[in-house]
Amino acid sequence: MPAPIVEARGVSKSFFGNPVLNEVSITLAPGRIHALLGENGAGKSTLINLLSGALVPDGGTIEVDGQSRKSLTPSDARKAGIAVVQQELSLTSQLSIAENIGLGAYPRRRGLINYPRLAQRAREVCDLVGLDETLATPVADLPLGRRQMVEIAKALFREPRVLILDEPTSSLSAHEADTLTELLRKLRTSGTAVLYISHRLHEVMRLCDYVTVLKDGTVTADRPLEGVDAAGLVRLMVGRDPGDLFPAWTPVDEREPIVSVSGFSSGPLSDIDIEIRRGEVLGIGGLVGQGQDDLLLGLYGALPASVRSASFNGRPGLPASVPKANALGLAYVPADRKREGLHLIHTIAWNMMLPGFGRVRGLSLRNRDKERALASELADRLDIKGDLTRQVQALSGGNQQKVALAKWMPSDPPILLLNDPTRGVDVETKREIYLLLRRFAGEGRAVVLSSSDTPELVHICDRVAVMREGRIVRTLEQGTISEEAIVAAAMGAEPARAAA
Amino acid sequence: MSAVEGKATSALYWRVQLQRNRGVRPLFIVVAAFVALYIYLFPGLVSVSGISKFAQSWLPLALVSMAQAILMLTGGISLAIGATVSLGAVIAATTMTGPLGVPGGIVLVAAAGLAFGAICGVIVVRLRLPAIVVTLAASFIVGGAALLILPRPGGAIPAWFSDLLAGNTPTAAILVIVVMLLWKLYLATPLGLSLYAAGENPVGAYRGGVPVDIARIAAYAISGLLSTGAGLFVAAQTGSGDPVIGTAFTLNSIAAAVLGGVGFLGGKGTMRGVIAASLLLSVMINVMFFLGFPPVAQYVAQGLIIIGAVALPEITGRWRRR
Repeated sequence: MPAPIVEARGVSKSFFGNPVLNEVSITLAPGRIHALLGENGAGKSTLINLLSGALVPDGGTIEVDGQSRKSLTPSDARKAGIAVVQQELSLTSQLSIAENIGLGAYPRRRGLINYPRLAQRAREVCDLVGLDETLATPVADLPLGRRQMVEIAKALFREPRVLILDEPTSSLSAHEADTLTELLRKLRTSGTAVLYISHRLHEVMRLCDYVTVLKDGTVTADRPLEGVDAAGLVRLMVGRDPGDLFPAWTPVDEREPIVSVSGFSSGPLSDIDIEIRRGEVLGIGGLVGQGQDDLLLGLYGALPASVRSASFNGRPGLPASVPKANALGLAYVPADRKREGLHLIHTIAWNMMLPGFGRVRGLSLRNRDKERALASELADRLDIKGDLTRQVQALSGGNQQKVALAKWMPSDPPILLLNDPTRGVDVETKREIYLLLRRFAGEGRAVVLSSSDTPELVHICDRVAVMREGRIVRTLEQGTISEEAIVAAAMGAEPARAAA
Repeated sequence: MSAVEGKATSALYWRVQLQRNRGVRPLFIVVAAFVALYIYLFPGLVSVSGISKFAQSWLPLALVSMAQAILMLTGGISLAIGATVSLGAVIAATTMTGPLGVPGGIVLVAAAGLAFGAICGVIVVRLRLPAIVVTLAASFIVGGAALLILPRPGGAIPAWFSDLLAGNTPTAAILVIVVMLLWKLYLATPLGLSLYAAGENPVGAYRGGVPVDIARIAAYAISGLLSTGAGLFVAAQTGSGDPVIGTAFTLNSIAAAVLGGVGFLGGKGTMRGVIAASLLLSVMINVMFFLGFPPVAQYVAQGLIIIGAVALPEITGRWRRR
């Protein structure tokens, strides 16, 4: 094997005390397309940020051309020929395609941008990626897939020796993806080291030579791709021990639907049929950003949506606004609890009362005694510890989440929509939240749990609907739910359930 | 590459310029209509002296509008524009008749603008403080400094210099054109074009190798220079210095920038739009004067036009989406 260009040796990184990467090693060698696989939150993005100098590792070293770099800066990385195509686009929409491609590396003449030279070089890289739009077109005019191609052209403009692509095909059409595949093969022949991150397993199988699999911040496989099949890769990504995290529960037989919606469309979502039943926890799974948020918000009346037919708690039609949804018995707990779920600088009690102020007031003024009694009752029910007059921001993430849940309890909602309630929550509180969810279901409520954490879908839910690209691609019933099945459906790797 | 395409790429710069006109075409039409109306009401405009006089009334607003727009393009804003204009005016009025003379005065005015702008920029960019707060504080400091230098209107500008800038000469019109060309030149440098990237997507731009901090600090320095320059011109117009003469320019500069299509979030808008908008505001005042509107009604009309101009694209956008 030729000498590696970039090598990470035993790098570790944690954010706010949460370890994200633990002693990870990876070697990028010229003339090789290297796949980096892992579930949401496995640490892939953190690793590429370390390799490109956007973050500095807490431990371990990064070597460029055999030389150890204690702290690699983005400009060091650029000089070493490392280019990254980020998942979130870094383009400037008001500037033209050519100006975006050259940004940060313009050819100059007497201090000015050398436009003729820029045009010529930009045309070359655009031809490579199959962009045939006029170079003067503002990026704002391009659809998402074409912008992604501009992003790739921008990376190629710097003639990189190492090209890192973070989910480059997630917004590309089949034709554009094929062009990219061709291009990457050409780059491999010319000796570029390519690191390719993708959730599309068939693409990885077709294109890559070598694979590194991350799971919970550690490497579970680092080997040539030859001789591994898609099912094997999925196992390497998810294989873990559920341990004692999840409570035991028995499925309830009460199975009467409380919400049934067909032909639901909103934003990126099209033609979704969904049924939510009393007494169940319905999981919504899939990769991040496949329309899960839009689905929950649409059902909750917070986003404009249309349906062929819908029935909520016995009434026809979608709730048109959040107050109407509340009146129909829906409650929503957002994923971003700090911004959408809570008022951080107010007290725990105040936050818990917020949706219920109307219910506990006497005549027209607030009744403080009743509020206090209710608040402490809620705190007991949800096991929220400590003084209720403290600010919510003083609580841990897990307890904040419980407050966000608690505030809906006084109105006794029969339908709970939860968006990733255990994100950034410690293990102990996770378990408490799981217990709560099962208890709610046991009380005959319908719980919808959207989650990026596959194990919790497997162990908490009665049914799991898996979303991909704005559609529910599969609904897994009790007994067929497994991490393999969810991940396979989420990634469109159809026959990966051979073992089941 | 074919010959046709080779020709097309060599003209990239001009094609990009053409694309940037798109968003401001409706504004250009409105400006043209108002100018036509102005000429109809006041045929004297179409003469050297007519254009000279009009350009003199327009130039300060054009300069401060650019000063504001360049900051808004980076995602910032300045509430100190007016105070900086006053500072420029009092420095000019107190130094030009002294031992430094006119050239020394010009250098001092320019240096004060650049230095004050750069300091604001460093505070906003390096300490990551909100621009609106920093420039609000700066407006008190600079406004106070102007009052300390010249507690009440006074000082003087040499008569020949006043005549050169604001007499019966087209100097102001030429200055407008020169400043616009200098801006074009700045935008043709890598640093100048970085303004857009630094304003719209600073993290992405930084990762892509754009010197985001330097681009933003440079914008603040240029903004300061344009503001004190406007102050110098105002002092030349009146022949003396007034420590509070710039106050109205702060809000007027924001009005022109917004009317010209510059967004508050950074990275959106063009300088040609801003200059056209400042022209519109200047022409409008003159037109309403000729139509016999009382001065107070002009404020009402100005406000209505601004809110209408900002709301119109939003309304038509919604209407189209249906």
